[in-house]
Parts: sequence; C-alpha cells; structure tokens
Amino acid sequence: MEIKYSELLKLNKELKDGNSSEEYNIKILSNIIVNQLTQIVEYPLQKRGVNAIASCGNFDNIVQDSIQFNKSNCVLIFWELCNIVDGFQYKSNVLTESEKSAIIEKTKSEIDYTLTNLNSTSIVIINYFSTTVFNHQFIGRNNYDEICRELNNYLESKKTRNVVLFDIDKIFAKISVSSSVDFRNYYSSKTLYTLDFFEVYSSMITPIITSVFGKSKKALIFDCDNTLWKGILGEDGESGIEMSGKSAKGVFFEEVQFMAKELASRGIIIGLNSKNNPEDVKKVIKDHESMSLKESDIVIEKVNWNDKVSNLQNIAKELNIGLDSIVFIDDSDFEINLVKEYLQEVYTIQVPQNLYEYPSLFRKNIDLFYSILNTKDDAARVKSYKDQVVREQAKNSYGSINEYLESLDLEMIIYIDHKDLIERMAQLTQKTNQFNLTTKRYTFTQVEEFVKTNQYITFAFEVNDKFGKFGITGESFVSINGHEATIDTFLMSCRVLGRNIELKFLEELVLYLESKGITQIKSSYIKTQKNQQVEDFYERAGFTLTGDFGELKNYELNIKDQKKVAINYISVKYERKN
Amino acid sequence: MKEKIKEIMAAVFEINAADIKDSDDSTTIPNWDSLNQMNLIVALEEEFDVRFEDDEIVELTSLESIENSLKSK
Repeated sequence: MEIKYSELLKLNKELKDGNSSEEYNIKILSNIIVNQLTQIVEYPLQKRGVNAIASCGNFDNIVQDSIQFNKSNCVLIFWELCNIVDGFQYKSNVLTESEKSAIIEKTKSEIDYTLTNLNSTSIVIINYFSTTVFNHQFIGRNNYDEICRELNNYLESKKTRNVVLFDIDKIFAKISVSSSVDFRNYYSSKTLYTLDFFEVYSSMITPIITSVFGKSKKALIFDCDNTLWKGILGEDGESGIEMSGKSAKGVFFEEVQFMAKELASRGIIIGLNSKNNPEDVKKVIKDHESMSLKESDIVIEKVNWNDKVSNLQNIAKELNIGLDSIVFIDDSDFEINLVKEYLQEVYTIQVPQNLYEYPSLFRKNIDLFYSILNTKDDAARVKSYKDQVVREQAKNSYGSINEYLESLDLEMIIYIDHKDLIERMAQLTQKTNQFNLTTKRYTFTQVEEFVKTNQYITFAFEVNDKFGKFGITGESFVSINGHEATIDTFLMSCRVLGRNIELKFLEELVLYLESKGITQIKSSYIKTQKNQQVEDFYERAGFTLTGDFGELKNYELNIKDQKKVAINYISVKYERKN
Repeated sequence: MKEKIKEIMAAVFEINAADIKDSDDSTTIPNWDSLNQMNLIVALEEEFDVRFEDDEIVELTSLESIENSLKSK
C-alpha cells in the first residue's frame, strides 16, 4: 500500500471526525469477507471532502441485503464466482449439464432480484465475475470460464443506468494476481483479497463516486509545443513540427491528440494555453495535414505572450468554470511549477522526458473526466462553448450590454415534465455547482419520480441564440402543496450566464404556477463553497427573506406582489410531452 | 516494539494507545473480534514485514503473544 494500513486507519479516523458534511453511505454486499475494504474505500473519498461511511452487509447475503440497504447512497457488490456455490472453482468443472444450468439459472434470478431491489440506489458498482484468480495458471478453458462468460453477458443485459460494471481483471493486470489474493484464510474464513488489491480497487472506483459530487474535471488545456506536437513551432516552423503516426517522434502526439478528440466527443472542453504567435498556431490547426484535433474540437485558445497563470484564469472566467475543473498539460518544468505555485486548484500533467510514456500517462488521467451519465447533450456542449467564445468577442462591438443582448435573438424553450429529458435533468443536478440555489444532487430514478408524480412539476429549459444552440442548460423542480409551491431545485449552467435568462426563467415559472392556482411560493438558498454568486438571487428577483440562518436562507413570494422584470429580448416557448 | 504494537492495536480497535495495558487481550478489548483480528494481523504484517501462518494467527489474541511471536521471527 502507498501508506501503511494502520496509518490509513488513523488518518481516516481524523478525517471522519473533522468532516461535518452530510454522510455518504456506502454499503458493501459480498459473498466473501471484504471487511478491510470499508476504511480503504472511505479514505480517498474523505480526502476529497466526501463524508463517506462504508460498512459491510451480512456475509453471503447479497439478495436479502439488497432489500435492506437500497437506501444507501452507493452499493458495492463483490459477488465471487468461486463462492456462488461452495468450492465452485473446482466443482463447476464436473457438473452435469442439468446441474450446470440449474446453478446458472439460480444465479441469474439472484442477479435479477438484486438489481431490481437496487433500482433506486444512486450508484451500484458490481464487479464482473472473473475466473482469473484460479484459471490464470493454465492454458485451457473450462466450465468455470463458460459459466463466468454467461453470467457476465447476463449482467450486461440487465445493467440499468445506475449500475457500473467494474472489471476487477484490470486490478490483477495492474498489480498481478499473486499480489491481489492471499489464500491463507480463504478456505477457513473466506477472505481472499489483499490490502493492495483493495487499495487499487478503491482508487479506481473513487472517480465514479466523486463524479456525482460535481468533482469531475471539465476542461483539458494544452500547451502546444512538445505537448500537442513534437518541436517548437516558432523555431522549427510548420514543416518542422511532428504529430503524425508515421513519424518516429510524432506518433506519441498523434495518440494523445486522438485521446483528446475522444474526450471532446464526450463534452470535455479542449483548449490551448501557449506562448506562440496566434496566427501561426491557428494556421497549424487549420491546415496542418497531421493535426488530428481540428478547429471544431478546440473550444478556447489563449495563444499569446502572457503568462500562463493569467491565461488559465481567463479561460476559467470566459467559460464560467471553476479552476478546479481544469487539467493543464505542459512540457516545461517552469510552466508546470508556476501553475502549481499560483493556481493550486488546477490539476497539472507534465509531459514525461521519455516520450513513449506520454500516451500512457495521459490514459492514467482519463478518469479525472469520468462521468456516470453520458447524454447526447455532451457532444453538443463543445459547440456551445465555442459559440460562447465568439459571443464574448461580439460583446465588445456593442455600446451597451442591453443592446448586445437584444442583438442575440435569444430564445428560451421551456419543457414541463418531459420524459426524454430525465437523464439530462439528473446530470445537471450532479454537475452544476455555481449557479445552483440548493445544490441537491438527484439520480435518474429520483428525477423520473418527480416527472411522474403530480406533487412535483419539473421545468427544464433550452436556450438558443443567433450564434448557436446551448441545449438544455437550466431547470427547476417545484413541489406543490395545495395553493403553495416550494422551489426545491433551481439551477442553471454557467454557460448561459450574463443574459438575464435566470430572471426570465423564474418569471415564467411564477406565471406558470399562477396559472395552476398557486398563490404563494417558498424558496431557499443553501450555501456551498461554490454558489456565492447566487446568494442574493431571490432578493434580486423580488422574493422576501423570511429566515436567515447563515448557511441557509428562506424566502417567500406572494404571486400577486410580484414585479415584472420586463425582459423583452428573450422569446419564450413551451413544450409539454408525456 | 511493544509501543509500536500498541499503536497499531489502537488504530485497528479505535482506542487510545495509552489506554492499552500490557496484559490486554481479546477478552479485555471490546472491539477485538474475529474480523478485527484479521485487520490487526495484516496491519502487523505490513508494519513489521513478517508473515504469520494460519495456525499462528489463531493464537495471537493477546498483546503478549503478539510480542513474543514477533520477537521469534
């Protein structure tokens, strides 16, 4: 282990004692003994501020436990093939066909029960069944392998959105089977895995859990020279730089560019922060035949002679993302250290001396961008961020901000209880940190419930302007109780800030509620480290403060007292589809 | 060595090292159950870079027996 287990126990306890945020309950269900995992899984999460509290279910009681613990925030399942029947690693190979199919059917139905019971648990991480621990020793395949494959196919076919199937063979590949397992107490007390195994497991699943806390990275910013290509553009010229798969030194950069391209397709912002002549870099991106990253993949370019720290600050500002959402890659010690010194929140990657290690180092960091939900809006987001940069530039050519906003032809489409948007709505609650009044994180299933029930109305909006489409960028969940409504969630992606869209949306929401017979609206602001910018949002919108508890402020609005905000440059349309 | 063992026991059983008496064993320390016994063993093995065999482990249920066993390695 990187730190000793006893040290981890001590540090973890200190972190837990000092962590006052809401508990995040993790339940580990298993048919072997894995109790050392609890603290090893808590520790990296506690270090990131998540108040993870993990505990094990009852030994070999996965199905029953899945009923009992489905209210946990996260469930981890260690379902070991060797113990689905006692001694299955050897008994499986002499079964008759009917015995074999009976065991497979029994396990499949247990999988069904378990997944159904955990349907509303926000994250369920299940290990793929694996034969590696026993069968890596010989060439042939046997029944044990066949059954394993069949059960894994079944798991995949039954996987729901909240389920992540985790490939523990990757751990064996990383640290070897012999470092991962210890048979000393397997036969007597069903412990199988080592501390090292648990440590790697925990580090690999941590990004899955932190991604629902909005802690995933959003932007990947490259220096250009010796980062996107081999060579220095200003010195070697356009023909002297290499990034082609056919060139000995260029091949590493082609691989990195392709991986960055894949991230762009998942909605990760790709940007440049480079000391170069902007025209030279533009020309390379546009015309160089070996560039795999294209103009359309790159959202923001800070190519100039300013220091890289200010450039990164400007990137964060213009894209309206936190510095802690940025990953920066550079080859120079000087630049990396400068950024580390002044912008500790930015995650830095330095291109290694041995270039053949560069693609591998890049891969190692890909999980920083992990997201449990992938929606089609992700890909559109890259285009949207690009449009934003064009808009920022257009801003400068107008006299007043209103004149500018009027020129944008802003259009808002409001979707009410729209079933096709559940996934996107859940994703917004998980990803939005800054313009988020209550920062409540919801899962697909929870949002689905809001959409279905009459006790809630869900509003989601899409924004378009003459430069392009932003997609679904804001939403509100409102609970209804007679003539009173309570705004549970009100959030907006920061990409559409600065257009008074939030005020227009709130005004429309109030009008809509009024048309449904609501007379009184309650709302609140819950303070987090990131949402100070909306601290006085409800005051600005004409709500009355009814309680101020520091971290929590409560508001009310009598609809008949509401003042209109008179924003006439945003046109509004409604869509309702069930 | 004894102090180091106590430190590890303290971390595993979530108690203060200073409260552990030389005579303590699994009957006097409430958190010392069979699961924590395994946690204690792996923590000791890692700290002292030794390995206990399965027959030994069942005997290691007191501070004294642990210390004696470690000294013999």
